[in-house]
Amino acid sequence: MRQRSLVILTSVLTTGALTLTACGSRDNGKSGDSGSGNTLTIGVDAPLSGENSTTGLGIQYGVQIAVDDANKNNWVPGVKFKVNALDDKAQPATGQSNATSLVGDDKTIGAVGPLNSGVAQSMQQVFTSANMVEISPSNTNPELTQGKNWQTSKKRPFKTYFRTATTDALQGGFAATYAYNGLKKKKAFVVDDKQTYGAGLAKIFNASFSKLGGKIAGTDHVNTGDKDFSSLVTRIKKSGADILYYGGQYDESSLITKQLKDAGVKIPLFGGDGMFASTYIETAGKASEGDLATSVGVPADTLPAAKQFIQTYKSKGYKGDYAAYGAYAYDAATAIIKAVKAAVDANGGKLPSDIKNGLRAKVVDGVQKANFEGITGKVSFDQYGDTQNKQLTVYQVENGKWKAVKTGTFNG
Amino acid sequence: MNTLPQQLANGLLLGSMYGLIAIGYTMVYGIVQLINFAHGEIFMTGAFGALTVYFYILPGGTSMWAAVPLMLVGGGIVAILVAVGAERFAYRPLRQAPRLAPLITAIGLSLALQEVVRNFYPGADKARAFPSLDTTHDLGSVTIKDADIFLIVAAAVCMSALAWFVRKSRTGRAMQATAQDPDTAQLMGIDTNRIIVVAFAIGGFFAAVAAVSYGLKYGNIDYRMGFLMGLKAFTAAVLGGIGNIYGAMLGGLVLGIAETMAATYINNIPGMQQLGGQSWANVWAFCLLILVLLLRPQGLLGERVADRA
Amino acid sequence: MTETTKTPDTPGTPSADAVIAPDRQGLIPLPAAAARALTLVGGIATVASTFLAWTWTADFPGDLTVYGYPGGLQWLTLVGGALVALFALAGYGVRGLGWLAPAGPTGPAVLTALGALGVTWYTVIAIAVELGGLVNLEPGGYVAAVASLTTVIGAFGLPAGADETRRAKEAFTAYLKAHGRSRLRLAIAGVKFLNAYIGKPDHIAAPQTVPGWLQRLAVTAVTMAGLGIFSYGIDIPSEEGETFIGYLVVIVFAVWALHTAGLLDRFSRLVAAHRGFALAMGFVAAILFPFTQTDDHYANIGVNILIFGTVALGLNIVVGLAGLLDLGYVAFLGVGAYTAALVSGSEFSKFSGVQFPFWAAALTGAAASLVFGVLIGAPTLRLRGDYLAIVTLGFGEIFRIAVNNMDGVSGPDITNGPNGIPSIPDLSFFGFNFGTAHDLGGFTIGRFANYYLLMVLIMAIVVLVYTRAADSRIGRSWIAIREDETAATAMGINGFRVKLIAFALGATLAGLAGTVSAHVTYSVVPNPYQFAGAAPPNSAFLLAAVVLGGMGTVAGPLLGAALLYLLPEKLVFLQDKSLLAFGVALILLMRFRPEGIIANRRRQLEFHETGQLDVPQQTTLTDEPAVTKAGA
Repeated sequence: MRQRSLVILTSVLTTGALTLTACGSRDNGKSGDSGSGNTLTIGVDAPLSGENSTTGLGIQYGVQIAVDDANKNNWVPGVKFKVNALDDKAQPATGQSNATSLVGDDKTIGAVGPLNSGVAQSMQQVFTSANMVEISPSNTNPELTQGKNWQTSKKRPFKTYFRTATTDALQGGFAATYAYNGLKKKKAFVVDDKQTYGAGLAKIFNASFSKLGGKIAGTDHVNTGDKDFSSLVTRIKKSGADILYYGGQYDESSLITKQLKDAGVKIPLFGGDGMFASTYIETAGKASEGDLATSVGVPADTLPAAKQFIQTYKSKGYKGDYAAYGAYAYDAATAIIKAVKAAVDANGGKLPSDIKNGLRAKVVDGVQKANFEGITGKVSFDQYGDTQNKQLTVYQVENGKWKAVKTGTFNG
Repeated sequence: MNTLPQQLANGLLLGSMYGLIAIGYTMVYGIVQLINFAHGEIFMTGAFGALTVYFYILPGGTSMWAAVPLMLVGGGIVAILVAVGAERFAYRPLRQAPRLAPLITAIGLSLALQEVVRNFYPGADKARAFPSLDTTHDLGSVTIKDADIFLIVAAAVCMSALAWFVRKSRTGRAMQATAQDPDTAQLMGIDTNRIIVVAFAIGGFFAAVAAVSYGLKYGNIDYRMGFLMGLKAFTAAVLGGIGNIYGAMLGGLVLGIAETMAATYINNIPGMQQLGGQSWANVWAFCLLILVLLLRPQGLLGERVADRA
Repeated sequence: MTETTKTPDTPGTPSADAVIAPDRQGLIPLPAAAARALTLVGGIATVASTFLAWTWTADFPGDLTVYGYPGGLQWLTLVGGALVALFALAGYGVRGLGWLAPAGPTGPAVLTALGALGVTWYTVIAIAVELGGLVNLEPGGYVAAVASLTTVIGAFGLPAGADETRRAKEAFTAYLKAHGRSRLRLAIAGVKFLNAYIGKPDHIAAPQTVPGWLQRLAVTAVTMAGLGIFSYGIDIPSEEGETFIGYLVVIVFAVWALHTAGLLDRFSRLVAAHRGFALAMGFVAAILFPFTQTDDHYANIGVNILIFGTVALGLNIVVGLAGLLDLGYVAFLGVGAYTAALVSGSEFSKFSGVQFPFWAAALTGAAASLVFGVLIGAPTLRLRGDYLAIVTLGFGEIFRIAVNNMDGVSGPDITNGPNGIPSIPDLSFFGFNFGTAHDLGGFTIGRFANYYLLMVLIMAIVVLVYTRAADSRIGRSWIAIREDETAATAMGINGFRVKLIAFALGATLAGLAGTVSAHVTYSVVPNPYQFAGAAPPNSAFLLAAVVLGGMGTVAGPLLGAALLYLLPEKLVFLQDKSLLAFGVALILLMRFRPEGIIANRRRQLEFHETGQLDVPQQTTLTDEPAVTKAGA
């Protein structure tokens, strides 16, 4: 009796297990014939919860608006797009797992993201192995596209990785030139937040500013999450610097500028596009008056498409902050969609049937050849996958608003 | 320009804030041997409580003389409610549980509180501006602003009030008794549950005072502000000798000054140019903590507790 | 076999029970026969309802629109219904099903019925809410809802054992007596009543002895079933969060029911008798996992869980066995990962010319962690309790900040600062390249599956080290130190030395896992090695994995790690509220099961006070030591 019952236990449980496993495969097979055969997915990978989620959500909804526009205007006839946004929580391992998930899905043709360079490093190879295009709207580390020795001999490590953001080299150099020539500042104090973006930016600024003949009054590094900068401010005060350059995000820079001005040091703070957001002015208040930031592209209010984008973002009530990377994300998604269109056109107006092994490679080629007017300016990529949009703008806070003070190109 | 006095003042101010928050850790620990890791988040909710009073309850243009006391009350109420609620619903059921269970609860609570504020407080997914007191005063080579004066005065008043309360009042002495021996205290007719609630409430109120000073000083608050401050305050409590309220304040001041000094002067030491600056300050602060604990395992003012591991 | 749950006072004979059993009725006054029939029919009807369409559109995850073939959540309802039906049949005394509920079928029937109700109603409500209105329900949905409700009514009408009824009533009145009456108190008392009502009885009849091979067969079957259930859960696509919730509901209730039925007790006794065999089967199941997957993504999740689980197991030595609270443990994972990255031959490494073979890199990483463990431990382990906690927390932060700064700009040039060390090449053993997919007997084993299998090997080493250490003299010293350091020292145990060994061993194992993780993610950066964050691994999550799973056990931290990794992963449909849900889940889990999911026997006894301190572990005194030896 006992023996038999164990046999039954065995058989029941094994049957249960087998049915359950079978069930898993049925779902996968089924999703194809549910009437959405011509829907392609664009993946998004960014931190959507926790620390960096404000910026991450801006990326997600930037892509969402691009996809909505494509569907509404029927950019690719007969093909609809949808967004699959995955949360990487700013963790490399999670980002990588998201990448394998996107690569494994046979409806996904490309991905936009991630936000953090550190996460990108663990994803690039996954996408390259699967021949899937990945466009980051925010990674600025030159090494990602130009290899380790980017200053001496550029070499592209990953052929499917592109970015619509400019590298640190451009922004840092442009800022240094403007600070030295435009603002006639001679003594800069350079601070960064010890993150890939901020440290890279500060390093380039430091080098360019010294090369121009400026003096570096001092340097320091802070940690993200720091709130009290009083000792730093005291040192800046002592150094007699006439400008403070900060490489990092607005979370810290808005605190620094406030504490700086409160201590009676009335020098402007200059930063990169990581702090070019209205939040900076809102949180720093009056202290932000006169502060500067560089950003890629021409000012948004000179481009109707960009204005339209901001309007849509606001009217849909999307969370997050579009200001930092939303527009780059929009352009990145558009580049993918246009590449799909090119592939469809080349295929006689029909979507190639083999997405994993056919379409993805064509989309990579298409993105490489992209050339259109996006909302951040012209979208096209050089042989390393970097954007060729070298248009930069310096903004300054004037009466509580960012105002463009200089637009130009930088090749440095 | 000699920056030493200014840097000392910076450290002292930062340290007072650590000290105020550390009181909450140390009182709770002294009585129930529980590290309330969510205390940093109680501090954070206190700040948002005060912000609510200023932006959503008081009419616009209220003078800061009237607003600040009301913000203290509002922040205090919120922080006390959160602290006591956490005690009642999250920690109390676990009082007999393994020692680590409340720690995990605290981590969960800390995450949950942050996310509640981020998701449901208007505009809290980014930093929110907080009314600040920015008028500056030059005292010799030291520049301080009104918010700094408020912080120092608040910390001094709170500390003396607490010292009086613990030593002289009935509840205060009951607290001391409970901290020494909960079982005996209970046998002597002390309602230990009530004492624990009072400890949480005092901790919550002090955190709220610190939170208001924080807002007035830095001019903005965000849902993550409690994490690092909480961690530092906990360090301060241990540094001063956990369980000892004077130790918490002293630990806070020592930690604050140590951080400031480390950020400023370490890179002047030959051979350590690269190991100074603000990004290494926390490292030096923790090194100091480890050093102090090695020499005085019970902390600066802690008593040698026989077997309370 | 020993009756481990035996309480010292009453042996509890059935005749005594019969005397004190005034009523043989369930909570809902139904004739026993009617209740049984209702439960059975309800269960079968629930199963049947899953073959109908529940909604009209495929927009709801899992496509519940097909007649004649269940999908997504319907499968889970089906399993729930089938389990109820089984227990109901066992209640009828059907021959061959008696073993299903050695402790009486009522409790399990109630629980599985609740599970089925939960998942069905959850689905139906989710359909109505997500698609906007009850209109979206097809008749099948209503049928399912009604059927599952009927089942629950029937199950509550089942005659309860005298034991349960008595205990439930005692719990009810005892609570009210202690706290007084009010509406809230009545409700709480009601919960306590219910809890005792469906709880596991104290005494379960000992099973008849069956041949060893059959026992091993049962272990095999359960392991394979576990693998199947686990793969199903992991395979649920992240965008089908609803299905995952349903899956969790069914699992929780089914496991609870199995526990109440007394099957878990029997199984754990079986495992105890065939320890070596069960362990081997566990590893076979783990090895088989990638072969059940078609998509490398799931192997990727698998390898991450394994890395996380291995580190948690290492931490378990420190926290669970030696009782040292370590809040900076993730740093040792970081030391291992960075060491492996430095000697991996990556061009970004400081020593870019150096490329160690993996075995050497793994040993170097483990050794570096060991050195750090000793360096940190030697001065600090003399501190007691929570002082040690803050020091380890400090060390964890120091590690992260130091690594972040050592880029030659704000510190010595070693770790490449915030950029980390990218482009870590894939491993290669004897020409077997881990970076590419391989065909193995018709199955394609992708890159992550390769690493997964490597990680299973490392996990095996760690489990071996853990169990051998825990059972050794040193392991007993750890437990002695944990329980009472003063007494242990008085008995001649060198507390400091023993603690240092625990610390160093834990660090070494974490470092070993770190060496693999560096290669899996292609890069190491400082960010993940923080005290607390939104995603594993970080020190807080590691600790949570250990405590949630069950301290001092082998399976506990692994289960905890899997859960902590999968929950945030599958909760994405909650979007930016996922962290909130996660935080609340941590609080609730600790509130209701503070000893962890898989409780160490000793701890459970400690926690549920028996009035007798330090009850010696009785499991070692089994009746069949000979079989154990033979099987191991």
